Amino acid sequence: MIPAYAYLWLSGILFTIGAVGVLIRRNPLVMFMCIELMLNAVNLSFAAFSRYLNSLDGVAFAFLVITVAAAEVVVGIAIIVQVYRAGRAMDVDELDLMKE
Amino acid sequence: MGGLGAAMVILFAFVAASMLVSAVGVVAFRRPIYNALALVANMLGLAVLFLLLNAQFLFVAQIIVYTGAVMVLFVFIIALLNPRADIRLQRPGAEWGFGIVFGVVFAALLLIILSTRALPGKPGPYTPEAIDAAGNVQTIGRALYTTFLFPVEVASVLLLVAAVGAVYLARRRIH
Repeated sequence: MIPAYAYLWLSGILFTIGAVGVLIRRNPLVMFMCIELMLNAVNLSFAAFSRYLNSLDGVAFAFLVITVAAAEVVVGIAIIVQVYRAGRAMDVDELDLMKE
Repeated sequence: MGGLGAAMVILFAFVAASMLVSAVGVVAFRRPIYNALALVANMLGLAVLFLLLNAQFLFVAQIIVYTGAVMVLFVFIIALLNPRADIRLQRPGAEWGFGIVFGVVFAALLLIILSTRALPGKPGPYTPEAIDAAGNVQTIGRALYTTFLFPVEVASVLLLVAAVGAVYLARRRIH
């Protein structure tokens, strides 16, 4: 039997990698992928808790997280395509129109 | 049974190692298409872990929704936009400092929490044997449409809104 801590460690490390990726990358597509990585890491710990506590709540939550992630990706990619169509650079540091 | 347990440990170690490597690939590759392929590898590894965790429903949902739909969308967009501007080298600016400091602090917090805390919570009735006896998908379907009925309905409204929003954004020209 694999200990629950193995899954939680893996999940934590994956989440950290994704968070650092969001912080250091400036391409919106890659930042999106890093966010997906973080959501996946959380799903892994949901499933691990669900299994080791003999509960279904974690699985149901992970299912809802997958749903929300799909919606988020659809809208986010639509926005990225619009930004690209408007002829702006693919760099979040240069997308600062709403700062002013 | 001992042989099966050892095989599961070996499988877990292999999948976990490949997931860590592909996660670093998602962050580190320069060309977005390589990032996307690394993310596909990562998600397939996660699907295998769901299977190890006796969450067959999540395994299927993960492959259909994430690896199937979301990553196909990513790859399509990368192929469509052909973002040549991204190949330029990133200057290691202030965000690298923030990222590294955040990573170290977060990893230290994880280390403290995971090494000092016992897992709380009291086990529920859904042992793997009970779930397998009633059917995995049947059990989760019943939970989703009874206990989690309201969240599922909210999620369905969210998906509807996202679909309408995406169509609206795709039709409109922003000048």
